[in-house]
Amino acid sequence: MNQYLQHFLYPSTLFASKEPYMVKTILGSCVAICLWDPVAKIGGINHYMLPNWNGNDLASPKYGNIAIEKLIERMVQLGSRRENLQAKIFGGGDLIAADRSAMLIGERNIRVARIMLEEKNIPVVASSTGGRKGRKILFFTDSGEVRHKFIDKRTY
Amino acid sequence: MTNLSDRQLLKELKDRLQERSKYEQEIKLLSQELQEVTKRFKESEALKSHFISNISNEIVNPFTSILGLSKSILSVEKNDWKKVVSMVALIHSEAFNLDFQLKNIFVAAKIEAGEVVPNIAKVNIRNVIQTIIDSFSLVARKMAIEIEFNFNIEYGFGKNFYFKTDSEKMKLILSNMLNNALKYSYKDSKVIINVTADEDFLTIDVQDFGTGISEKNQKIIFERFKRLDSGINSINRGHGLGLSITKALLDVMGGSIEINSKKGEGSTFTVKVPEAKNVVDGFSGEGNDIFFDDDDEIF
Repeated sequence: MNQYLQHFLYPSTLFASKEPYMVKTILGSCVAICLWDPVAKIGGINHYMLPNWNGNDLASPKYGNIAIEKLIERMVQLGSRRENLQAKIFGGGDLIAADRSAMLIGERNIRVARIMLEEKNIPVVASSTGGRKGRKILFFTDSGEVRHKFIDKRTY
Repeated sequence: MTNLSDRQLLKELKDRLQERSKYEQEIKLLSQELQEVTKRFKESEALKSHFISNISNEIVNPFTSILGLSKSILSVEKNDWKKVVSMVALIHSEAFNLDFQLKNIFVAAKIEAGEVVPNIAKVNIRNVIQTIIDSFSLVARKMAIEIEFNFNIEYGFGKNFYFKTDSEKMKLILSNMLNNALKYSYKDSKVIINVTADEDFLTIDVQDFGTGISEKNQKIIFERFKRLDSGINSINRGHGLGLSITKALLDVMGGSIEINSKKGEGSTFTVKVPEAKNVVDGFSGEGNDIFFDDDDEIF
């Protein structure tokens, strides 16, 4: 198992590679989309915090709509074909449950993922979203496998 | 099928109708949101093209000056060396500015590409701030602005204060704050930098006594490419990226920024950064713990 290079994925960033990487990340209301190209064996993952770009800040992958576009772009740059991509969606928990005013960020994050992936005809082959708990995930870029575990309340 | 009474039938229809109108409401909201987003994109596109024309000035003008000035130096008579000093000073200030702007632009590009991650080390905060102040000292001197640096952290006797953070990001944040403070100051004034720390937070204030920002404008200055005086005749240089970069970098570091300003009286920008932890929650640095807990689910 040690042949995997490791990468810790911070919020608002994205990662994609042809090399076998094990990418780890922690999700609360954030959502991570793992894209995998089974033909070219390329995997990529993003980690966004908010659903839509507000048009004011830097257009960074902190925002779902941008993070999804950019991840697909990055995969294509590495040699993937759009029609081969398949997606797995994780996160979007509702951690700040006591405070309803949190405006259901998690849920809106998930919705952006579903809507955009459907629009782009990328099938969602697996997902674990919503709920009240945070998640810890490991994504293997060569096999597309995701290991997933719930963690106790943490704000991410 | 069971037979429904008229009343039940009516109720059922009513319910369905209600449900439908609920969906319609939702669709309406969604399409409103969509229109809003489209509008934003258009606005942003316009700003971007403005930015590009702006930026080419930012880069081309300093280069033209640098080239021109160095050419003059080359052709200067030997006994005229005093002229050279002032020209070298100009070259330096143009190059300094260019370097600063380029750093900002490259960082912005990196942030937008999703490649900016915290890079944590123990940082000697006093040194970092002093370095930044020194680098702006020529600019400050030219405008006769005094930079006052108050380091209000007691830390042992004769020991340095170290704080776990990302020194490169810290430097860029400070440079942007100081650059703004100097840019919007009047001649012969003062910029005050105050540093304090408590258990978990480092707080840095940069105060100027310059033009100040009206309350309405305080909201929009963080938007990318936005400058309050973006007209052709604006006296001040810059591309309007500084504060949006600062904000994005603070995001990465878990920090925040606040403004306190009155039009005509100057502004104080306050940055607050939490001390970074070595361990990212849930993962030790070594990474051994992540190997396969038995209760991992596999997708």
